[in-house]
Amino acid sequence: MKELLGQLAEILEVEDIDITKKFTDYDEFDSLAALTILAMLDSDYNKTMKTSTIREYESIEAFCKDVLA
Amino acid sequence: MDFQFKHKKISGILTILPHKSVTFEDEMANFNFSPAKSMKLKIAMGYKEHRLAEIGQTSVDFCIYGLQYLFDSGLLSKEDIDAILFVSQSPDYFMPASSNIIQGHFGIKQDCLCMDINQGCAGFEVGLIQSFMLLEQPSINKVILLNADVLSPKVSPKDRNSRPLTGDAAAITIVEKCEEENTIYANIKMDGTGALVLNIPAGGFRLPSSPETAIMEEDAAGNFRSKDNLVMQGDEVFNFVQREVPPMIEHLYKQSGVNREDVDWYMFHQPNKFMLNKLADKLGVPREKMPANIVENFGNASGVTVPTCISYNLGEQLCNQEMLLCMAGFGVGLTWSSIMMKVGNLKFNKIIEF
Repeated sequence: MKELLGQLAEILEVEDIDITKKFTDYDEFDSLAALTILAMLDSDYNKTMKTSTIREYESIEAFCKDVLA
Repeated sequence: MDFQFKHKKISGILTILPHKSVTFEDEMANFNFSPAKSMKLKIAMGYKEHRLAEIGQTSVDFCIYGLQYLFDSGLLSKEDIDAILFVSQSPDYFMPASSNIIQGHFGIKQDCLCMDINQGCAGFEVGLIQSFMLLEQPSINKVILLNADVLSPKVSPKDRNSRPLTGDAAAITIVEKCEEENTIYANIKMDGTGALVLNIPAGGFRLPSSPETAIMEEDAAGNFRSKDNLVMQGDEVFNFVQREVPPMIEHLYKQSGVNREDVDWYMFHQPNKFMLNKLADKLGVPREKMPANIVENFGNASGVTVPTCISYNLGEQLCNQEMLLCMAGFGVGLTWSSIMMKVGNLKFNKIIEF
C-alpha cells in the first residue's frame, strides 16, 4: 500500500496522503489527475476503473484496498 | 475480422489543413480552470496549437480544394476516378451523400461509385480497406479516398476535455491497382455496445436540435457543453484503447508474419500525446517510431490524423523510397482497425493549406 500511496501523493502533488480523505478533497484532483491514476492502474496494477468510480470512493483507503485486492 | 489484399497500393497522399491556427493559451480563458491547472494539462497531453476551419467552411470544401489542387498540378486526372469514398462525421447534408456533391462539382463521369462512410478515428483504415475491396472489381482501377472532418463547430469552447485537441482537416489518398505482389494485411473490430462513448447527442432524427438541446450544462469535471456538442467519455476511451489496441497489433504481427522491429514506422491515430506514448510503451515500440506530433501542432481531426502524420513526418522521403508502415485507428463506433503494408514511391505526399 505504501508504494501506491507514494504514487498517489505524486499525482496529487502532496507530501503525504490522508487515507481517510476522498480524492475530491484534494485540490489537485481533476480530470487529468483522474486520467493519470487510470494510466497508473493500467500499467502498474493491471486494473481498469472509471474516473467516476475513483471520484466516488468514500475514502482513499477503500480505493487502495480494491486496487490491491 | 482479418483481411488480405494483393496488387493494391497507395499512390499519393495530400493533406489539406486550415490556415487558421489557434493556440492553447488563446483558449485557456474559456475554461473553468485555473491557468496553473490548464498548463499542467497542456504539458501532459501535448497541446500546443490546433488548426480550425473558418466559420462556414465544411469538410466538402476542404476536399474540393484539395482535388482542384491535384487536377491543376497534373497529379490526378478526373477521367481516371472510378470511385469516390468520403469518410467523415461532418457531411454537408443528411441527404444527399457528400461524395455525390463532390462528383457533381467536378463533373466526374457517371461510371463512378460514390459512397459516404460514417467513421471517425479509424476512418483512414476503414476507408483503405473499403478501397482495397472495391479494387477487387475489374471495373475499378482507381479509388479516391477522402478523409475529412470539420467538427470544431460541434465542440463546446468551454469543454476542456475536447476543445484543445480538436482539429479540422482533410486528406486525399489515391488507392489503385498495381503489379507488385506485396501482400497487405488488415483487420477491423467493432463494438457497438460502446457506441455512445463518443457522441453528439442531438441533431439527428433521434433528438433533433432545439432551443433545449442548445442549453449549456456543467459536467462533474467542470466542463460546459450542450446536447448539440460532441461529448467524449475520456476515461472510457482511454480504457478501451489500452485494452484493445495492443492485442490488435500483436495479432497483426502474427497475421502478417512481421516482427515488431521490422516495422519502419507506426502511424497511429493520435487522440493525444499522453495516450499515444502509453500505447507505444505497452507495445514495446520505441516512441520515436510512433510519431505523436500531430495533435500538438494541428489537433486531432479524427480519421485524418494518420494521413497527416504520414505527410508531415515522411513527406518527400516517401516519394523516393518504400517503407513498411503499421497503421492503426481506434475510436468512435467503437471501432479499431490496423493495417500492415509497404507504402512508398508515391507520386505526392504533402500538406497544403486552405
